[in-house]
Amino acid sequence: MSASTQPPVLSLSNVVSGYKGLQVLKGISFDIAAGDFVTVVGPNGHGKSTLLKTISGLVPLTSGAIRINGEPAPGKPHTIAGLGVAHVPQGDMLFPEMSVLENLLMGAYLAPSKAEIDRRLDEVYTLLPKLSDRRDQVASSLSGGERRMVGIGRGLMMGGQILLIDEPSLGLAPLIIEQIYGVITELSRSGRTILLVEENPARVADLADHLHLLDDGIIVWSGPPAELLARDELLATYLGG
Amino acid sequence: MLDILTAILIAGLTTGALYALATVGLSLVWGSMGMLNMAHAAMLTLGGYSAFTLCTVLGLPVIAGFAGAILVGAVAGGLLYVLIVRNLLKTDKATFESNVMIATVGIGIALENAILLTYGGQPLKQPISATGSFILGPVSLPYQNMLIVLVVIALMAVIALLLGRTRMGRAIRATAQNREAAQLMGVAVNSVYFQVLVLSGAIAGICGVMVSSMTQLSPPLGNDPMLKAFIMCVVAGLGNLPGAVAAAFGLALLEAFVQYVAGARWGFPTLLFVVIAVLIWRPAGLFGRVQIRRM
Repeated sequence: MSASTQPPVLSLSNVVSGYKGLQVLKGISFDIAAGDFVTVVGPNGHGKSTLLKTISGLVPLTSGAIRINGEPAPGKPHTIAGLGVAHVPQGDMLFPEMSVLENLLMGAYLAPSKAEIDRRLDEVYTLLPKLSDRRDQVASSLSGGERRMVGIGRGLMMGGQILLIDEPSLGLAPLIIEQIYGVITELSRSGRTILLVEENPARVADLADHLHLLDDGIIVWSGPPAELLARDELLATYLGG
Repeated sequence: MLDILTAILIAGLTTGALYALATVGLSLVWGSMGMLNMAHAAMLTLGGYSAFTLCTVLGLPVIAGFAGAILVGAVAGGLLYVLIVRNLLKTDKATFESNVMIATVGIGIALENAILLTYGGQPLKQPISATGSFILGPVSLPYQNMLIVLVVIALMAVIALLLGRTRMGRAIRATAQNREAAQLMGVAVNSVYFQVLVLSGAIAGICGVMVSSMTQLSPPLGNDPMLKAFIMCVVAGLGNLPGAVAAAFGLALLEAFVQYVAGARWGFPTLLFVVIAVLIWRPAGLFGRVQIRRM
């Protein structure tokens, strides 16, 4: 189902997962090629975040397979992070008592050298200059938009090949959402592989190469964003119009 | 008047330093793992007896006794993780806090009894101690008290640097603040837990040497500092490291003052009264978060 002819960097095959006594994902399959921008949309509580958590290892796989660069994904989140999967979770999940800089440095926890950390830090400050101004501020004192920026910056500091972004616009003002999506657009243009979860397909219409509609733990529709936006009956049934 | 105030200050600072050392080990483990290590007292005692064995029994120099106490404490902390904590974490995480508390109570009792069987119940003299005083006009500063305060200050600086400036320290703090996010950054949290218990054990070892140098070695040596350290932790807010150190010095000075004014028997009841008052006023402690994140 990849939008590209490149071999997949991330491949999901009949993925089933969930929480104690609750099956959330009920057989998800798709591939993502290097440089693709893929979005998963769907109503709240139907498994979008669980999908990203399953890929990054926070939610264990019940059955099925996840492959990263053709190799089976190891089960633990820290080893999956080591394979270049950077997860920017919903609600930021920052380290609240650390400064912005310390949060960013935690993103580069597995970086091979000081020079590489400095290079990534320069890159993040260029893309998100506000973080440079706020570098010594404690994360818990930041605004919602700034926290989201730190979350994205921390994900970039991981230097990952695959970026998983969970609902970056959730709970933010329209102006901030615009800024956040401006950054995501830059990331996409730089050739990064992005899997983004979003509730509103219109936000990714010009960005995503491919879109999956997730409902009750299964993918009910896949295709280009423009095609979904033209299908009023799908929008009405799954996304409330 | 000056000599009385100095005596209270010296007693308060020395006791505060010892309390702070005991409290840091306990608070570090609670803050990063959500684990109340009830065997901390026995690990402290083990450190004191290790130094005694190396210096008095084997005749090694003082520095070897000190290093040995640190090493034995660290090994005890590591073994506690490998043999007990790691396995409890594999089971139901919801009951980890209570299970690990009960398990470490058992380990503490077993260790204390093992020490009793090995060394007997009679008090022994800790060979690592300094005699004499530094006289400054009307004020006399015992070298032993100065040694304790200086060692504790140096140790606090090392711990602060370790937690604040190193990759390992950042991983420990990150795990304490948000375990899942730390994992996503590539932190192996089980390895962090191991490091925390090793570090805490090493601190307990040093603390055991320091406490026994002021009193004497006996199998229940660690129980009183552990009880006081727990009070300091609760007053500060469980898991808050700088707060615990501040509470340790503050309460120790208060205890020394009350003991001088009202008599030695009123020191401990006063501490308990302060704990009750603080918990009524601020249930999460003076510097504590309302909810402590558990691993």
